[in-house]
Amino acid sequence: MILLIILFLPILTGLFLLPFRSASVVRPMALAASVINLLITLSLVLSPSAAYAVEWISFLGINFSLGFDGISMIMILLTNLLFPFILLAGFNREQRNVHILNFLILFTQSALLGVFLAQNAFLFYVFWELSLIPVYFILLIWGGDGRKTITFKFFIYTLTGSLLLLFGIIYLYQLTPVPHTTDFAAFNKLNIPATTQIWLFWILFIAFAIKMPVFPFHTWQPPTYNMASTQGVMILAGVMTKMGIYGALRFLFPVIPQGVLYWQNTVIVLSLIGVIYASLIAFRKTNLKMLIAFSSMAHISLMVAAMFVLNTYALQGLLIQTISHGVTIAALFYIASLIKEKTGTIELPQLGGLKLQAPKMALLLLIVVLGSIALPLTAGFIGEFLMITGLFQQSIWFAAIGGLTMILGAIYMLYAYQRAMLGVQKSVFNKITDIRALDYLILIPLIVVIIGLGIYPQPIFNLFDQSIHATQNLIKPVAEAVSALAH
Amino acid sequence: MVGTIPNINLAYLVPAFPLMGFLITGLAGKRLKHNQGGIIASAMIFFSFIISVVLFYLLRSSGQDSATITLFNWIAVGNMNIPFAFLIDHLSLTMMLVVTGVGSLIHVYSIGYMHDDERVNSFFAQMNLFTFSMLLLVMGANYLVLFIGWEGVGLCSYLLIGFWFKNPAFNYAARKAFIMNRIGDLGFILGIILLFFTFKSVSFSEIFAQASLMHAGGPIITLITLLLLVGAVGKSAQIPLYTWLPDAMAGPTPVSALIHAATMVTAGIYMIARSSILYNLAPITLNVITAIGLTTAIVAAIIGLRQNDIKKVLAYSTVSQLGYMFLALGLGAYSSAVFHLTTHAFFKALLFLGAGSIIHAMGGEQDIRKMGGLRKKMPITYFTFLAATLAISGIPPFSGFFSKDMILSKAFEHNVILYFLALGGALLTCFYMFRLFYLVFFGEQRLAGAHPHESPKVMTIPLIILGVLSVFGGFLNIPSLFGGNLSFSNFLQSAVSSKVSEEISSTTEIELIILSLVLLILVIGIAYRTYVRKANLPARDGEPMSIWSRIVVNKFYIDKTYMILVEKPYSSFSNFLFNKVETKVLNPIVDGIGEATSRIGILTRKLQRGNMSFYFFAMVAGILLFIVFILTI
Amino acid sequence: MKDISSAIQLIPLEHYILLSVALFSIGLMGVLFRRNTIIILMCIELMFNSVNLLVTAFAAYHSDPSGQVFVFFIMIVAAAEVAVGLSILVMMKRNVDSVDINLLNRLKW
Repeated sequence: MILLIILFLPILTGLFLLPFRSASVVRPMALAASVINLLITLSLVLSPSAAYAVEWISFLGINFSLGFDGISMIMILLTNLLFPFILLAGFNREQRNVHILNFLILFTQSALLGVFLAQNAFLFYVFWELSLIPVYFILLIWGGDGRKTITFKFFIYTLTGSLLLLFGIIYLYQLTPVPHTTDFAAFNKLNIPATTQIWLFWILFIAFAIKMPVFPFHTWQPPTYNMASTQGVMILAGVMTKMGIYGALRFLFPVIPQGVLYWQNTVIVLSLIGVIYASLIAFRKTNLKMLIAFSSMAHISLMVAAMFVLNTYALQGLLIQTISHGVTIAALFYIASLIKEKTGTIELPQLGGLKLQAPKMALLLLIVVLGSIALPLTAGFIGEFLMITGLFQQSIWFAAIGGLTMILGAIYMLYAYQRAMLGVQKSVFNKITDIRALDYLILIPLIVVIIGLGIYPQPIFNLFDQSIHATQNLIKPVAEAVSALAH
Repeated sequence: MVGTIPNINLAYLVPAFPLMGFLITGLAGKRLKHNQGGIIASAMIFFSFIISVVLFYLLRSSGQDSATITLFNWIAVGNMNIPFAFLIDHLSLTMMLVVTGVGSLIHVYSIGYMHDDERVNSFFAQMNLFTFSMLLLVMGANYLVLFIGWEGVGLCSYLLIGFWFKNPAFNYAARKAFIMNRIGDLGFILGIILLFFTFKSVSFSEIFAQASLMHAGGPIITLITLLLLVGAVGKSAQIPLYTWLPDAMAGPTPVSALIHAATMVTAGIYMIARSSILYNLAPITLNVITAIGLTTAIVAAIIGLRQNDIKKVLAYSTVSQLGYMFLALGLGAYSSAVFHLTTHAFFKALLFLGAGSIIHAMGGEQDIRKMGGLRKKMPITYFTFLAATLAISGIPPFSGFFSKDMILSKAFEHNVILYFLALGGALLTCFYMFRLFYLVFFGEQRLAGAHPHESPKVMTIPLIILGVLSVFGGFLNIPSLFGGNLSFSNFLQSAVSSKVSEEISSTTEIELIILSLVLLILVIGIAYRTYVRKANLPARDGEPMSIWSRIVVNKFYIDKTYMILVEKPYSSFSNFLFNKVETKVLNPIVDGIGEATSRIGILTRKLQRGNMSFYFFAMVAGILLFIVFILTI
Repeated sequence: MKDISSAIQLIPLEHYILLSVALFSIGLMGVLFRRNTIIILMCIELMFNSVNLLVTAFAAYHSDPSGQVFVFFIMIVAAAEVAVGLSILVMMKRNVDSVDINLLNRLKW
């Protein structure tokens, strides 16, 4: 029951708020709903056991079943943690049709929570697609220049991936014993022939690879992030990229372990190429938001590589990095939009010397940048250290190349920071103001999360320790069988 | 070995004070009055120093070698269990005393030096953060806590080099320092991970306990030590990762004294000394260290001969002295390296602070060709600078003599060629230091319009204290030759396992000392003749030079080589990736699929002509074709 | 009923089939080659009715009345269709003052 509340509270609030057109009513109410949702989620963390299931389309074996384990919990926590700040980012800003916008944001939240709560593949798919609809409109209506073409591309691209996923789900569905069902539990018990798993892997993986995105399926991402509104990009980069990671953890590893093992090194190599590729491009990007978009891609690529080495260190690192990346990237994009708001540009060559007028903004940006380049005592360091440790177990070269993010990230991030904030002040920026109380309200909690988890990450580790063992145990027999075959 | 020592938990306070100072000066910001920030920051470091002294006596009176104190469990994942713990032993205590002792003097000095800067509070906040990180580095009980400090000092170094952020060149220098450090850090973290997989732990005590049972020369241990060495090379500015340190002189002078002379750059030496047990198992790595150290010592000294910026001379001198410490490490004389580290911290901090005092007096001028005749105007600076110059040149009985002599005699034990190369480097050191000294303090004042004056007391008192330390610091470790008992080395014995080699006889040693002394005095004489008697000035910029001098003045073109080999290809490669791969390959493929779809649409819509009869015809034809198709099956 | 069936069965089934094929073909040709919309509509009716004939014939031969029921359905739908078709036709006549099918060529792209 509590899961139903978590799932539907946002969208119901959104619907309820639709008749109100005044921003001063809609915004606080929406924020209140998301904060309440966060509190409920936190109470769930403390006593983690809840499930909900009713029959839905019973003749097809589709149940409306909700539940969670450690991995979903982390995603739900991240979603509910970020959405209050995403909503807060709209406060005190001119926005058209506030009531519709807030409705769409809350709608997205519900859909995302549905993705992470669903225990049934069909339900998962429904929410997966559902989340696309509000985001499509948020991007289309509140986006920036070129929004029509870019949103169209984004929509078609992700939809193509989703269709493959749907095909995969139907294929798995007809493999289940009669009566057929799409419950994850039934999928996990399937014993699919290795040859099938090998091609089925790509059918399922491409959907997730596009969402994350993994090299070379990323071309929709930088322009979309660049044109999206602040709130839109915070949703996209902060939470929606994690859908891909979650989907891969949920679908690939338990269901087609042999396929995963077969393609393991391919995916790791692709991801590591993505790390280097995105980091190098980020260095040349003069548009701050584009640069952050590529940096996000580099981090996500490392996370994918870590996901596929399948050991405890890498998985724990991946999950803590999930939170860290979500929070950091949301903060980065928020500051980027602040810069845009204050100066009217995010082209780095036109910026410079902002620190003189806005030292506090510069300081906060610096802290977030340091979190992004994984300085120790930030959550990013714990994540990257564990992921590189995991990669090391696979091969020292993987670790060395993955570790290059430490250097490359520092190169482009510090360069960007210096070009925006330091140097000689441009005379046009003489009048800009420093950040306001509202910005503190958004950035300080995010920074607290970044640093807090860097100093004391243990609660998060404990949270998903068990589910990681579960995931690993599913892989382990197969891995042993494969290595036995190899000898 | 490890028992409880009463009140050892005081050790928490050592890093806690600078952290508090950082928070107070950082958060209070403009609310603090002008001097308050500096006073608070200096007091915090001084408190840490007092606590360190207390800890020193606690450890000594307890009769134990070390104590570990755990704050909390930092990372516990799978088999990995990394506590946030401090290790107090003789090595870390030595470092703590150096960091907090020299650190508090430099902080006090900064109150005077940074007096006119409007962001003085932010300066002190960063200095305190640096001290905090440095203390984490030296106190950490495992490699990962060490790594926190390691990266933390890198960050503070970045911030402080770029403290005057309006200057793009300073920002570039800051970034360069951070990135070169990060290159080393990647090696370091990979080394830590390999250590973890080899020993199932990253804590010093567990690793060393296991390692002492291992055989020397194993490939894994060699790889580990080499990876750790990469980190040390980056942090301690050795070839090939040294070019950031001279550029780092962009920061305020106290920063150069604290970070880029006395403490941070010695972190690599500390780390290797700390891992001495591992390094003893890897003779190949030790040879690599020797080679790197000696090459760096000599190359940097040669470059230092032709530098004209007072801080750049000192920077290359630091690189060169760090090379000596590496040489000592490579020879297995870890405690000699730490001893040289300590004395170097005294006299190099003094040299930088003296340089700061001079720059202050000259109104920001750093070119030694424009100085001169400051002896009379700035007596305190003059005498302290002289003490430091004598110390770094290795003139007895100044502190540098003892530490450098230990390294030289180790080199002699090892190999005579090594000894003469190292001695050659020492002579070069002596020459460029006296060149600097004579040019600055002797002769006529060459900068018109400047009114040099002695610095205020808040700056000169730290100079005097450091001067005393530079003069007498060597007495900490008097070799048996002079009737001492090597108390410093013995003190470190429990924490650092130096290699035992055959002692050279005392007659040989005396001969060597006399030889080097004679040569040193000769070099000082040459320097005096050139720069005081003949008053030869170094060539002005743009004057024609011989090929050799041009190479030296251009620092062997190493910066330019890096520019051509690394930076240019890096940015052109990233341009290539975006302009060619992303824009010309990947994007067109994706767009091409969409494009193809709409092309097909354009083609097929031609069939939709609007002619009803044609539609009917097509329909019937389709049905007929379908029927034929069915029938043929 | 029995009598009717047997009466029908006096004529061989091939005749019905051939007749309805002939009718259908005539209708088809009319639809394809005539330009007058009224005639096209009438030809469509002709095709309908040829099918109806065939269905009833088969129904009679197999003694299965459901075929004949279907014919009623078809007739009703055809009537409705004619109503719609003729009203379109009237509109067309009013608008373009012609019933030439080739004038209705806006239905494209």
